[in-house]
Order: sequence, then structure tokens, then C-alpha cells
Amino acid sequence: MQYRKHEPWLYLAPALVMLLAVFGYPFVRLVILSLQRTQAGVPAFVGLTNYQLLFRDDVFLQAVRNNLKLLLTVPVTVGLALVLAVFLFERIMGWRLYRMTLFLPYLLPITAVGLVFSYIFQLSGVLNDLLEAIGAGVLAQDWLGSTTLALPTVMFVIIWKEVGFGVVLFLARLMSVEEELFDAARVDGANWWQLQRHVTIPQLATVIEFFTVISIITVLSWVFGYVFVMTGGGPGNATMVTELYVYLMGFRYNQMNMASAVSVLLLLVTGVFIFLELRLRERSDLGLTS
Amino acid sequence: MRTTMRVLSLLALLALLVPACGAPATEAPAEAPAEAPAEAPAEAPAEAEPIKLTIWWWGEQEAPGAQAWLDETLALYSEANPNVTFEAVLQSTDTLIPAFQSAAAAKEGPDIQYFWGGVWTIENAWTDAIIPVDDLIPAEEWDHYLNVFERQYDGKTWGVPWYLSGNPVVFNPELFTQAGLDPNAPPATWDELLVACDKLRAVDVIPIAGGVKDGWFGGWLFSILARQPHDSEKAFMEASVGQASYTEPKFTEWWGRLGELKDRGCWNEDIGSLDYQQGQDLFVTGKAAMLFGNDTFLAGWAQTMGWDKIGLMLTPQYSDGALADDYIVTAQGWGITSWSEHPQEAADFLVFMHTPDRVNAWFKATGVLPADDRLDTSLITQPQLQQVYEWDTTRGGPNLENFIPSMMDEQANFAGVQLLFAGDATPEELGQLTEDVNAKWREQNPDAAANFEKWIE
Repeated sequence: MQYRKHEPWLYLAPALVMLLAVFGYPFVRLVILSLQRTQAGVPAFVGLTNYQLLFRDDVFLQAVRNNLKLLLTVPVTVGLALVLAVFLFERIMGWRLYRMTLFLPYLLPITAVGLVFSYIFQLSGVLNDLLEAIGAGVLAQDWLGSTTLALPTVMFVIIWKEVGFGVVLFLARLMSVEEELFDAARVDGANWWQLQRHVTIPQLATVIEFFTVISIITVLSWVFGYVFVMTGGGPGNATMVTELYVYLMGFRYNQMNMASAVSVLLLLVTGVFIFLELRLRERSDLGLTS
Repeated sequence: MRTTMRVLSLLALLALLVPACGAPATEAPAEAPAEAPAEAPAEAPAEAEPIKLTIWWWGEQEAPGAQAWLDETLALYSEANPNVTFEAVLQSTDTLIPAFQSAAAAKEGPDIQYFWGGVWTIENAWTDAIIPVDDLIPAEEWDHYLNVFERQYDGKTWGVPWYLSGNPVVFNPELFTQAGLDPNAPPATWDELLVACDKLRAVDVIPIAGGVKDGWFGGWLFSILARQPHDSEKAFMEASVGQASYTEPKFTEWWGRLGELKDRGCWNEDIGSLDYQQGQDLFVTGKAAMLFGNDTFLAGWAQTMGWDKIGLMLTPQYSDGALADDYIVTAQGWGITSWSEHPQEAADFLVFMHTPDRVNAWFKATGVLPADDRLDTSLITQPQLQQVYEWDTTRGGPNLENFIPSMMDEQANFAGVQLLFAGDATPEELGQLTEDVNAKWREQNPDAAANFEKWIE
């Protein structure tokens, strides 16, 4: 009996060892590095000193603030994806083409997207040329060279690229909803708005939650590519984000211990959202099976 | 199906047999030396020992033609030393440092690594990633290498220079003439530069081209402009470790001068949204009259625009420090890693790169001047390159970016220049920013600050 109780662990052991080696060791090593500092050429334990120094670093604080500002893209992305998905679900003419077109940006590499938009948003770029051509030259701006406009410009590109994933997610869920639910609501006299309010959105609730959490994780720890390619964190740190800060600390300034401290913080914050996402998925699975 | 199975079975059998047959074949020679006569050539086994040297490098980025030269050099060396083979990995600007930092952390990677000069090399000595090379290379060789001082620290030399990279102001004589400027007497003083800007603007030519979005040009501008009131790169090293202040007028004046150029309309308006390369293209395409350039690109630009549209001048002077009228030059070079199992062989190859044949071949392949005085100067036929060679050898001065903390370069120079062009900071604020960044660097990285202090000595 005792043997049978432990038997599953024996089967799991190889996988657990692999997981610990692949994920556990790097994490432990990262935490250790974050608590050390090189003194006279030798790594020495310094407790939380690196973390304290971080919170006195104005560039790090700017990076955190920018990551928080980027969170503004989440409701916009989710809302826009929802609206577009609902319209596509109405089977408007050419909806399959629109669906593909909207999803296409999500498939493109971030570096390619960043490069293309860098050219579009230059002071002498395509967008400003277009504005001049239609007589709206007064709206032309230095989209990437201005400290006030650079971050909103990056936010726009993030939304443009990420919204397609939401549309496809929402549309897939909507297509699996029983048609009778919509028919019943229509028979009961529900207008278009009521149909969305009382049928569509409740049916999408779990997917909306999932996409929201994924989008939050994306803007917290997956925006390096956008910023690195489009602005390099500038002008004057106006678009600095924590991921880029980690990269610069570790690889440009040769301060791996400080970079590790930021990575631990980033991992903890992202971990909360990953945990949340897992819980939501668990709840969603339970909902599907019950 | 049956045939397929037979073939597969046969292949499987062969796979089992080949190693089985191979084993005795490799064991046989092991016994041979025991029976061999004592007077058998002692060097034979050493000569036969296969050696593979891994090289990570970057030179093609600023010296087009370097790839072909390196391929040829590796082939020639392997031909003369059949036991030595190479693996050469070309890095991009963005991966050059991160890839090596990762390799250094793992103590695994290249035997020979490409490095920029100064701190970019020396900081790897502080982390024990590279070894001193003085004893690996004959003393008479060192006499021929140029700009060795950038790689010296604590009485040792931590790398070998390869080629020279200098910063002239490049101008387009045709556009100068169009604006009523004399291309034979380009601006030598700051006031003359401002007047030239006005004249070029008057004929709708961008006076000076630039792009600061990717930051790198900010570091160049610091090195080119901040030096003029100072006598030595040590002034900046001392300020970085807190022995002087970056808020002193001598250190903030360059910000004011740069602002003056901006306010006078000397730069392209879109400088803030262009990368350095894109800014440079404005000059190469004939839209801009001047460029704070790099002499390694001259031959490449000449292929596009012709040598007749390339004139060279020193940076117009606004101050009279000893660094004001020198020619900024650094040597890009090599280091040998501390984990290399073949440091002597790596050093031997670096010496081979400096043989007169290879030095001359380098210049022919790239049009870039090698960091070696054995270059046959009769090969330099272009007057512009003759000018560069003369400046390199008679008035070469340090590239300041190589003597400051990289954090200062990024967070003060790169970011500060961007803020200045965006109109968001004054010279005084930028001086304070530089001072704050250095104070932060010392606090976050006291070990590096201590190393810098030792370096100053």
C-alpha cells in the first residue's frame, strides 16, 4: 500500500528532475545573483542592497512608470478586439478576408513591425507626408523623436499588432456558442445592443479574462522588441521599459547583479498574473466540464 | 516495403559495424609510440595536434571587405599550419557585447574576441574574461602596432590593435561651392562653422547630417565636441570617479555648443527620429553638406558618391585645450579569452595578421588603415586617405567614449543628446544629468569605480 502511494512520484521523477534543472536552477541562480555584488573581483553576499539601489535609480523608476503606462493599452486592445470580433461575427460581407487581415499583424515578427513603423513615424516619414498631402500638415509631429509622443506611438503599434489575436480568440469562442441562444434572445425581442450585453459578452467572459491577463503579461514582460527596434528606450529614456533596463544593465553596463535583481522583480510581478491566468483557465475548464 | 526494410536493416548493421571496425584503427597508433625508436621526431605529435580557434568578430560592420580578407587570412594561416583550423563568427553591433558577456559568464566561447578600444577591452580584464598578451607576442612586434595605449592597464597590455577608426568631419566640396564656401579652406573655427551653416541653409542644403534615435551618435558627439577644453582623456576619467565634477563649465560647454548648432539650424530637422545610419545617408545621397563621420566608411561612400564629393577637415575649434585640434582615432582590435586552451596559438595568429603582406592586403581589401606602421604607404593613393594617415600618425588623439563608464555613455551622452535635440533639457541640466549618472554608477558598481581609479594611475 505504502509502495502504491509513492509509485506515481517514481513515474513523475524524471520529468520533475528535468523541470528543476531547466527552470528551478536558473531561478535559484538568478535570486542568488541578485543578492550578490562583485567586491574586489569576487562575488559577495550583500543582501537586498541591489534592490535598494534599484529603487534609487531614476531610470529604473522611469521604466516601471512606462510599463504601468503601457497597461493602458490592455483595455483598448481588449475593447477593440471585442468590437471587431462582434462585427465579424455578424458575417458582414468579406468577413473572412477581414479576419485574416486583422490576424496578419499578429503573425508578423515584432522586429519587422517595429522597423516598418519606425519609417512610417519618422518626422520625414510616410505618415507626416500623408498628412501634408491631405492638407493636415498641422497634425504632423515628430512621433518618435518627441519625449511626449514616443511612448503613445509605441503603444499604438502594440495595439495594432496584438489586437488581431484577441479578435481571433473572441471569434472562435463566439462561433462555438449555440445559435439557439441568439435566436431565443431575438425571439424575446432583444435588440442588437441587448443581444451583445446579455448573450455575447457573458459567453465571452472567460475568453475576455484570459486575453486580458495575457495582454497584461505581454506589456509587462514582452515589449522589449517593440521598444528596442523603434526607439531604443529614448528619446532620453522616455520609452525605457524594465526588460530593456535588464538588457542594458546586464550586457551594456556589465552589472549582472543589478540586472538579476530587476529580473527577479519582473518575474514576481509577472508570476502573479501567470498564476491568475492559470486559475482562470482552471475555472474555465471546470465550467466547461460541469 | 520488404525492400525498404532490408535496406534499413542493412544500414543499421553498417552503423553498428563501422564504429566496431573503427575502434581498433584508432587504438593502433596509441601503441606505436611505445615501439618507436627514441630518436623519433619529438615534435611530430605536437605538430599533428589539431587546434581549433574560434573567433568572434565585428569588423565587416565598419570595414566592408573585411570578411574576404579574414577568410583569406584564415586560409593562408591554415595552409602554413595545417593543424590549425578556425571558426569565425561575425557579430552585429547589437550582439557584439551581449554575446561576449554571456560567453564570459559561462567561460565558454571564442578564443579570440574582437573588442573596441579602451574600456570596452579593459573592463573584460577586470572580470578576468581576457588575459594579458605582452608575453605571448615578441617585443619587436609591439613596436609596430599603433594605439596600443588604449589596451593598457595595470602595467599590462590586454589586446592587440587591428585597424584604425578615426573621426574626421567629412564635407561635400560641390555643395560648399554651391553655397559660396571655399572647399579648400573649410571652417576651422566654431564661428566659421556657424557662418557655413547659414550659407548652406540659404541654398536649401542641410548643413550637417545626423541621427540620434539609436543613441550611438550621441556618444560620438560627446567624443568629438566635449574634448576641446581639455588636455587629456584623464580629465574625464577623473570626473567619472568623482575627482572632478561634470557640472563644471569645462565639462558642460560642449552641450552649449551643440545646442548652438541646433538653434542655428545646422542639423537636419528629423535628427531625433533617424538612426545614425539614416542620418549618414543624407550626406551620402548629397542632401547634406557635412557629417561628423568615421574614416572607415570613406572608401564605401566613395563608391556611391565618388571621391570628388568627399573632403575632410578637423572639427572646427571653440576652445584651446590640448585635445582641441587632434584627430580622434581609436584602434579596433582583439583580445584572447581567459578560457582559451590555446592562448599562444591565438597570439601567433594575431601576429600573423600583422605581417606586412596581411597588413597591405587588409588596406587593399577594405580601404581602411591598419593599426600597424608597416603598411606600404605607396598603396594609399587617394589624397583623402593620405590625409587621414597623416592625421593618424602625427596628431592622433583618444576617443573619449573609450575612457568613460558605458553607463555614462548611454544614460548621459545618448539620452542627453536626444533630450537636447527634443528641446527638453538645457546644457546645465545635462551637466547635472551626467554628474548624477556617474554618481549612480559609482554607487551601483564600486568595484568598477575602483578599477577606473587604478586605471587613471
